[in-house]
Amino acid sequence: VSEHRQALEARFAHILTDYGAAIARLAFSYEAVASVREELVQEIALAIWQALAQFRGDCSERTFVYRIAHNRGLTHVSRRRSPQPPLPIEDLEEADQPVDPRPHPEEQAARTGQRAQLMSAIQSLPVTHRQMIVLALEGLSHAEIAEVMGITENNVAVRLTRIRKSLKDSLGERP
Amino acid sequence: MTHTNDHELDTWRDQWSSVAAPPAEFQRKIQQRIKRQERRFLLGNLLTVIVFLGMLIFAVLMRHQSPWMGPNWSTGICVLVFIAAGCRLWVMRRTWRPETQSTRAFVELWHRRVAARIRLLRISIYLSLGWIIFCAALTAANWATIGQDVKAHPAEWVALLVVCVLMQYPMIWFAAVWLRRRKQAELTEVRKILDEMDGKS
Repeated sequence: VSEHRQALEARFAHILTDYGAAIARLAFSYEAVASVREELVQEIALAIWQALAQFRGDCSERTFVYRIAHNRGLTHVSRRRSPQPPLPIEDLEEADQPVDPRPHPEEQAARTGQRAQLMSAIQSLPVTHRQMIVLALEGLSHAEIAEVMGITENNVAVRLTRIRKSLKDSLGERP
Repeated sequence: MTHTNDHELDTWRDQWSSVAAPPAEFQRKIQQRIKRQERRFLLGNLLTVIVFLGMLIFAVLMRHQSPWMGPNWSTGICVLVFIAAGCRLWVMRRTWRPETQSTRAFVELWHRRVAARIRLLRISIYLSLGWIIFCAALTAANWATIGQDVKAHPAEWVALLVVCVLMQYPMIWFAAVWLRRRKQAELTEVRKILDEMDGKS
């Protein structure tokens, strides 16, 4: 039992190292308030831990992690009593100062602004659209997105085109 | 971050990759939370076993101490415990560990689960009504014995009646109605997500 537990703990630590940043980004798309978001990140990690013992490799580790993370994110959104408006760009900039070693402050400020706009636009999308674009931004292929979401690859391709257009429109409208 | 020939997507990916980092002391906090959760799980199981055994002991004691209603009470409590446990298991069947499934499967299961909870609430309300009728029938059947005690200590019986029937049941009733309303709202939310997945909204 002890050996099995140690192996599980080692695998879990490995998952947190590999996907910790991705989980944090993903939580960002579901929750704008930093303290609640931290709580959500912990809940996702806990759910991964709980499911890890039953994971038999019927999908890739990546799919496994993203499935749990998104399903937990969906539960989080549904538990909120009222819909949360996207965080104002100013707040995003204050809350998440980038760790960016670039020497040019102007370039850095411009990048921060663009990133904040992108985040705000993503947060304003319907929840399943948000989920799909986040998976695409994380670098998942159409096949992997289809596997995470339980829809066909064709469906993913069609919807992603629509979502990207709507995201582009939303970014174009912003100052 | 993976780069493709799609310039727009690559730009967004670059911006996205610097959005957030894991919170400070992420792994340590998670480990603490896992330990807390495991302790709670153990305590919860222990408490359930204690409550169940306590109820059985109470039923056995009642059987020996109050011969005029002991057997009926103890049978009633045992039947109620088993019906409640049976209903819970039946309603919650096929609803364990859904989070490792795809979003579509998860949401469909979630929908079934919320609908099952609403059904369980309805059954609980009927069960509590049945319990009141059972108690009333038991009292009526034993009225010859109870009646004498009621005449001897009317104030105590009125107090018991007020606490048990007039205060406890409305509270249970309102709690069930409040919970049902919450679950209905959750059901609407889940249906909305399903519609979104089907491209209906």
